[in-house]
Amino acid sequence: MHSHFSDTYSHLESPIHRLPASFKVAAALLIVITLVIAPPSPITFCVAGFFLIMVAAASNVPGIFIVKRLIFLEPFVLGVAVLTLFQPHGGIKFLIVTTRSTLCIATLVLLSNTTAFSDILDVLKRAKVPGLMITTIALMYRYLFVLKDESARMRSARACRTFTRSHRHRWHTLATVLGQLFVRSVARAERIYSAMCARGWK
Amino acid sequence: MIGSLRVEKLYYHYSDGTVAIKSASFCVEPGECVGLIGPNGAGKSTLLLHLNGLLPDDSHARGEVYVDGDRITPATFDAVRRKVGLVFQDPDDQLFCPSVFEDVAFGPRQFGLGDGKLKEVVADALAMVGLQGYEKRAPHRLSGGEKRRVCLAGVLACEPSILVLDEPTSNLDPRGRRELKALLKTLPSTKIIATHDLEMVVELCSRTIILDKGEIVAMGPTVELLSNEQLMLAHGLERPHILNHRHPHGPIEQPATLHEFRSA
Amino acid sequence: MHIPDGFLDPKVAISSGILSAAGIALAARKARIELPARRVPLMGLAAAFVFAAQMLNFPVAGGTSGHLIGAVLCSVLLGPSAAVLVVSSVLIVQCLAFGDGGVLALGANVFNMAIVSSVGGYAIYRGLHRLFPGPRGRLLAVAVASWVATVVAAVVCAGQLALSGTVPWTVALPAMAYVHMLIGVGEAIITTLVIATIAQTKPELLDESNAVTVAGRGREFVFYGLIIALGLALFISPFASKWPDGLDRVAESFGFQHREMHLLASTPLNDYRIPGIHSVNLATALAVALGTIVVFGLGWGLARILVPAVKPQSEMNADTPEASGA
Repeated sequence: MHSHFSDTYSHLESPIHRLPASFKVAAALLIVITLVIAPPSPITFCVAGFFLIMVAAASNVPGIFIVKRLIFLEPFVLGVAVLTLFQPHGGIKFLIVTTRSTLCIATLVLLSNTTAFSDILDVLKRAKVPGLMITTIALMYRYLFVLKDESARMRSARACRTFTRSHRHRWHTLATVLGQLFVRSVARAERIYSAMCARGWK
Repeated sequence: MIGSLRVEKLYYHYSDGTVAIKSASFCVEPGECVGLIGPNGAGKSTLLLHLNGLLPDDSHARGEVYVDGDRITPATFDAVRRKVGLVFQDPDDQLFCPSVFEDVAFGPRQFGLGDGKLKEVVADALAMVGLQGYEKRAPHRLSGGEKRRVCLAGVLACEPSILVLDEPTSNLDPRGRRELKALLKTLPSTKIIATHDLEMVVELCSRTIILDKGEIVAMGPTVELLSNEQLMLAHGLERPHILNHRHPHGPIEQPATLHEFRSA
Repeated sequence: MHIPDGFLDPKVAISSGILSAAGIALAARKARIELPARRVPLMGLAAAFVFAAQMLNFPVAGGTSGHLIGAVLCSVLLGPSAAVLVVSSVLIVQCLAFGDGGVLALGANVFNMAIVSSVGGYAIYRGLHRLFPGPRGRLLAVAVASWVATVVAAVVCAGQLALSGTVPWTVALPAMAYVHMLIGVGEAIITTLVIATIAQTKPELLDESNAVTVAGRGREFVFYGLIIALGLALFISPFASKWPDGLDRVAESFGFQHREMHLLASTPLNDYRIPGIHSVNLATALAVALGTIVVFGLGWGLARILVPAVKPQSEMNADTPEASGA
């Protein structure tokens, strides 16, 4: 099951992929912090952009994929950025904020596609994130693909028996699918608990 | 390590009152491979959950289960879960860690194995199921057959003396099924396999139990039981095709392999 | 309202990060008490569910769409502390695995959506449910709590953007608040419908979570309240109306405002500002935060003095005449 908005390329082979995860996470954080703290200037942004392009090239992650990811995430940036226009010098602020934000997003997209998620999880563990949260994050990552597939199947099944396009019907379908999905998730969680206990978890 | 199992007068009902298992008593000798068959809703999965002390509410259960002569009680759950390895029906329920390595290492880690030996144990378990080098893979990228084999590896890594499998070949394509059957044949531990795959039962299991509506309605040598068309049809099953080409008359010697059976 | 990186300045990112870290640490300690062990995998599944649900957009109005935050849903089903962890997990995975939402902005996003929405929403839910008991009352409480939680989180978000100097308050507040008043309706409807489905098919889940949180001593709510209050103080109070308040207005109209006397030569926090800090917004924010802590401390101290502690049951039994052999 593949989707374009996931860490599809985190399992590739490349010099960047081979770097230790903690190094990559630290580097990504450093880049983001620099972009946020440094006074905004075209030079800073160009240097950062150039650096990211070099890393992307070395990482074997397809450029088209990165561009697609950025395009997908850009509306969220623009949605908030557009508010900056309503103030004196809004145009410049808009450009600065949008560029800075896009560079930060590109950094994170590169990080997630050059690092296996379980390695990122190890980094979080070492950063003293509470154990219960690590378990939650691990299980969440593991099962979100399963739930996505389940919800897609339920929606197609629903769509096969839908003959109206009314808003109300859309709401009703959404609510039913979500309700059923959650109930199934509860049942699955109980089975997972059994499976964990079966292998000694307490 | 090869273990034995004994179930005595097992009874279980769900919290809403439905009786899942009315009465079940049977033994499994060390090294045996026993098939558990029956129609849907017969209680096979529920029965298997008892073999590991997994059911949530003990007050709904009566009867005893003995593993290697020791009774299963809350005090002995840990020891039992080491000895009895349970492979669940849906590999997505059992493969819950973010990487193959983490998942296969889960059991041994819980049972106290140190990080040093873990890599070796995981590598050995993966090699046993034919998935060498899969340590870094993410579960959601594996095929159904691969997921099943990782689940099996995760259980084998705990070195159980009894292997219990719930519908191991369901949802597998023919190749996945063939590979899993070949794999199971190589494992020496005592095995209990609940399944609808009657052909596999004939190939792997020397003895079979038929469960229907929570009761054991028949128990005996596989070929004899499964050849009994009336019995099979009466309990929502059927005689497997593999036995249609051979009609035993009277008691027969249980063939050690399918090849022997065919050439007899 | 996932804030991407680049919109918040360091001071907002750091302060919200500290508050969020405190909230998560508190939640981690309490969740194990509030939630039985067999529900722990459900936290992971609930997080996966919230993520999956967030990808299903619902039509709001005129082409905009919103999506579920899920904070109140999780807190009603799993308890507020588990909900804090679940929603934080969703935000972290979205950020690190999918690039959705900033990494430096995590502090703010977690504060708004995981802490304010989950705990605040839960408090509103419990309060309303007490007023309107029964299954209908529960659904009403869920709906209102979901809506309010969404809107309040949006207002705090507006405050963070404004305090960072990115968007002026007069633009941020209406934009965020009005849009999320609409989105909040969607959140309320979806949350209510899901809870209704669960009440029908798996009611023991709701009863369980009710029982556990009632049994808990509830002291953590005081600390959650402090964290939220500090956040509100930092991010919203600077923008509280600068128009003179009622009395000042009256004094202006009648011309006697110059007659007020300063009995103390100089009060430490004149006009709710800290002297020496030039930015009015920042100064106000810090002053109110400090004031909150002081008032909280006074209240806590008074409560402890005035209200005798309830003795544990065993001690009380030991005091009875029979026990002491009278």
